[in-house]
Amino acid sequence: MTSDATTFGRMTDGGLLEAAAAQNRAAFAEIVTRHYQPVYRLVWRMTGGKADCEDITQEAFLRLWQNPAQVREAAALKGWLMRVASNAVIDRSRKPRHGDLDAEPELKDPLARPDAPLDRAEAAQMIDAKIAALPERQRLALSLVYFEGMTNIEAASAMESTVEAVESLLARARRSLKESLSPQWRELLGGLMETGR
Amino acid sequence: MENGKGASPDKMLASYGADRSRWARAGYVVEGQGSPEAEAEALHIDKLLDLASRPTVPEGALARMLAELPAAQPSTVIAFPPRKTGRTPFFRYAALPLAASLALGIYLGAQGDLDLALPTAITGAVALGDDPADDLGGVGELDAYAEDNVT
Repeated sequence: MTSDATTFGRMTDGGLLEAAAAQNRAAFAEIVTRHYQPVYRLVWRMTGGKADCEDITQEAFLRLWQNPAQVREAAALKGWLMRVASNAVIDRSRKPRHGDLDAEPELKDPLARPDAPLDRAEAAQMIDAKIAALPERQRLALSLVYFEGMTNIEAASAMESTVEAVESLLARARRSLKESLSPQWRELLGGLMETGR
Repeated sequence: MENGKGASPDKMLASYGADRSRWARAGYVVEGQGSPEAEAEALHIDKLLDLASRPTVPEGALARMLAELPAAQPSTVIAFPPRKTGRTPFFRYAALPLAASLALGIYLGAQGDLDLALPTAITGAVALGDDPADDLGGVGELDAYAEDNVT
């Protein structure tokens, strides 16, 4: 198993996909190890940190396991996983089920309690809440490019869109964040800088 | 904004923020500075985004993921047999002769040889132009009609 892990660790995504298509679990485990974190982070960002992030991330990988041939370009495996995961998030958010993503956001706005001292964790929670409140496509573009460091071309491919559209979404997302945070942002940034927290 | 080409600094600031490394990663060559307001605003948004949580994968998530695999077997690919070709529709048999007839008709018509193949009764009347040159097709009778009906 260790030698398997070493061998597969050196392989490209394309080689791993081929091996996974032949039902090689060790190869698939390497794919999971390689890509689970960014996919999980994207799902987390898209859902605003909901409890079912793990389920949705699993769903994306299980779809890959069930049919690795769906990935047309092995080099774009990460983008494919991101796309499947974000689609799963969007599908779930549209299902009218009790206790799912349509429910009240878990993230609380710390500035709802203006008397309470603001620390970094609370500031993070507030920013997360504002990001979670962005429209789906804006949130996705921001997550892929800003938080996951994908290039505009990779993000456009993952979103099945154009570079121009991704850039427009990014600009709109940033503008929306600015507007939603404008009442507090100077206080927020100033407070954090002053306290050094 | 296009890759590998110049782009407006203000547009870059609006989309990618103030961090120039993001601009380079996006493949842009940007000359000049953005407006001070746009720079300041982009910088502030960047700082706020930097404050966002960096979620970490729950402990044991990968192991749980891999444990799910036996339950989800790779799907068996069912090869569909090629569709049976049924009886060829009638129009397929008729298509070739009809097309040939059409082509022949156009050819003969263009050559002017068609007249030879048709009875003179048909072609002659047309060719002779049996209408006199001054036949106005009843227009001339209009005056007479009008005069007859003047009360």
